[in-house]
Amino acid sequence: MPFSPFLDAQRPYLRALIGALSDSFPYVSVLGTDVRAKQFLVNRNSSSVRDNGMLTQCGFVVKLHDGKCFREYSFDSTELPPEELAKKILSAVTLSPSLEGETIVCPVPADEPLCKSFVRESDFDSYADEDILAFAAKLKDETLAADAHVLNAIVVVSPCTVDKLFLSKRRELDQHYGWCNSMLIAIYRDGKTVQVREDVNSHRMADIFANLPAKRERLLEKAKKLVTAKPIEPGVYDIITDSSITGLIAHEAFGHGVEMDQFVKDRALAKSYMGKYVASPITNMRDGAAATLSVASYFFDDDGVEAQDTQIIKDGILVAGISDLVSASQLGTRPTGNGRRENFAHKAYTRMTNTFFEKGDSKLEDMIASVKHGYMLFETNNGMEDPKNWQIQCTAEYGIEIVDGKLTDNYVSPVVISGSVPELLSSISMVSDCEEIHGSGFCGKGYKEWVPVSDGGPALKARAKLA
Amino acid sequence: MKDILTILKETTDCEYRVNTTKTESYELFFVHKKAETVRSSDSTTRSVTLYADHDGYKGDYSFRVSASDSEARIADKIRAAEKQAKLICNQAYSLPAKETLDCDIPSNFSSLPMSELAAQIAEACFAADTLENGSINALEVFVYRETVTVENSNGLAKREHKYRAMIEAIPTWSENGDSVELYEAHRFTQFDAKSITEEIAEKLREVRDRYHAKKPASSLDVPVVFRAAELANLCNELASDLQYSAVYGKTNLFSKGDVLQKRTDGDPLTLEAKAEVPGSRYSAAFDADGCSLIDTTLVEGGVVQNYFGGTRFAQYLNEPCTGALPCVRLHAGTLTEEELRHTPHLVCASMSGLQLDLYNDYIGGEIRLAYLVEGDKATPITGISVSGKLSDALASLRLSSDETTKGNYYGPDKGLCRGLKIF
Repeated sequence: MPFSPFLDAQRPYLRALIGALSDSFPYVSVLGTDVRAKQFLVNRNSSSVRDNGMLTQCGFVVKLHDGKCFREYSFDSTELPPEELAKKILSAVTLSPSLEGETIVCPVPADEPLCKSFVRESDFDSYADEDILAFAAKLKDETLAADAHVLNAIVVVSPCTVDKLFLSKRRELDQHYGWCNSMLIAIYRDGKTVQVREDVNSHRMADIFANLPAKRERLLEKAKKLVTAKPIEPGVYDIITDSSITGLIAHEAFGHGVEMDQFVKDRALAKSYMGKYVASPITNMRDGAAATLSVASYFFDDDGVEAQDTQIIKDGILVAGISDLVSASQLGTRPTGNGRRENFAHKAYTRMTNTFFEKGDSKLEDMIASVKHGYMLFETNNGMEDPKNWQIQCTAEYGIEIVDGKLTDNYVSPVVISGSVPELLSSISMVSDCEEIHGSGFCGKGYKEWVPVSDGGPALKARAKLA
Repeated sequence: MKDILTILKETTDCEYRVNTTKTESYELFFVHKKAETVRSSDSTTRSVTLYADHDGYKGDYSFRVSASDSEARIADKIRAAEKQAKLICNQAYSLPAKETLDCDIPSNFSSLPMSELAAQIAEACFAADTLENGSINALEVFVYRETVTVENSNGLAKREHKYRAMIEAIPTWSENGDSVELYEAHRFTQFDAKSITEEIAEKLREVRDRYHAKKPASSLDVPVVFRAAELANLCNELASDLQYSAVYGKTNLFSKGDVLQKRTDGDPLTLEAKAEVPGSRYSAAFDADGCSLIDTTLVEGGVVQNYFGGTRFAQYLNEPCTGALPCVRLHAGTLTEEELRHTPHLVCASMSGLQLDLYNDYIGGEIRLAYLVEGDKATPITGISVSGKLSDALASLRLSSDETTKGNYYGPDKGLCRGLKIF
């Protein structure tokens, strides 16, 4: 599919709008978004296809710098002539007289010239809705038929195509790419009821069709084990994390802590740890839309800054943070391409993209063998950051007890990891030589501003408080 | 340009529903009390659902219509949706009948321009910033004016006008080169400068206490008191399990007649799903289908009484349509401040997030600030977690007689549980 014809057609209008606003503002940019996302859902007794309301959007946001601070206006109608819309914007972003003079002062952003189009093709157009529904229905039926204990099987396929256009006085960028998340869920009852899931995520529907059915057996094996799961005895244990939990730790423990809009607000302890050890010396961590191919792999961010690959922790030392245009302007640094919006009607903040620990050189079997008594933890449920105080809370769906270097049949669920970030990261003693990135998650800032993110990495051996 | 209903009538014989939300906002973002960004927005979200009756089934397909879509493009989307809807084979059901409504959800926001209201909200927040080592180092103020409309092919047309506001504040305490913070999200539909100042002032006192809080030297074995935010979380989790859609999909854990609370010394649990609760931005007059909302008792005396939900799954289950009720109300209990004074307990003032897992009978979470209350003495504590069986917590749950609103919840402002491990 070509770049959005709608956005393409708006270029002259948006150029005229930038021209009309440039008389009043030294920096003017416009981001246009046209995101088309669907969700196919099939379960035992119903099915649906609908636009995915969380992602679908079509609109614009104007970003202005008045010589002191930033102003923004979001809109989705281009019915007004550009000059009239410019007047409306001027009125709408006016500060109350009581706050005039109470603004920050930061430099006008650099508007370096660049004109470029970016495309990453996906194969979504090769699959009609009928094909996707039939695939989902077949997988649902096979899952229900595979085990009488399956009360319900749910298949969700969510393809999303993103088109964005960024214009400023000296820049004109557009990008087109797609991503698809898919999930197979079973509600399983054998004495106790559990809900289990497996997912596959890719920029190609062909990968979804090939790989999601292959996870059915593993899903049901997991369900059989989880109905026997018991609560964990709270305590401090040696742990081995699977790649999903590794990613959750990267994201919650440190990712949020190096978002540099938190530096501006003096909200991040990491600001004072630049150049210092924050983790064990075998720990390396990165973030970036250009760092890997996953759900947050765009070509430029919502401030029109090209995607990057930022090394955050190198050999245990904190070496860099991530930033959006506004925080970089205030801090006098170059933005790292991490300015992201939930949609065009929301503010851009510094946000993570694809965040992960780098792989090491240990074999997973050796890592498990090194644990006298502990747990291997699997599958992200949720997490919560605390960048100022470096506390962490992450929830794993389940854990398997390790005794004398061997995985047992003792499952525990759920498992909450909590405690101090430096203690957890400095306890990392082994890093596996295989890694996986998981691209089905959403991340909030506080409790809002949801954007798709991926995280992951290798298996880690560490010591942590579990409950 | 023709309106969407006209285009629908001219393009298809299918039934349809149109949901429209027009949102105008004014937003202020402060860093260290100075405005960093001023935002405003004016956008309309419009979703069309097309229903196709075929082969004894009813299929539906929903799509977004953007403000910039032309008549021809909308007509194309409708024709495509008609085909897509015929791919879906769901049990048949009927759409709500003709009914009209145009109402305002009460708010005093309309008396001021949104920019002025946002400025006054910010001033009310900063008025609380009076403690020597305390500060609000980041503040975001959002004021929204929304018009929500549902229309369908049976002639149903309902509209409600609402205002809402949200504050996100980061109260911070700094002493001797160290500092700590808490997170405060406050949502409201009535502007009361004094109550906002009091809310933020309380958070500043709590962040001061977090700075001075210590990890207890030895393990604690006392009852745990959760506040309204955690009780809201618990009630929403239970209510979610009792929706018609969960029952129809066989994903519900509890059924009518189940004893959800095997009481030991707890207050009997009575939980309602409601259309409105005082001061909540979630209060509504109708749901996404346009169905009127009928308050429903879900749990009474700890026993599941009813399910609730919208018209489609209500028809499938042959249950009354209550509408997708957006709020919950937990009935007050018998726990008094006087009783608490005589019971050593741990009050969870700030948690990373209460973790609940009905399937695994789990409740727990990391506590950022708690108070160990012994008589009139309240000792701030941090660095601890709680965990235990949800069934044990429910069995022993004592609920305060004082009530408050938190999000979509109205009910006791405190709940005391026994049997949770503090570590």
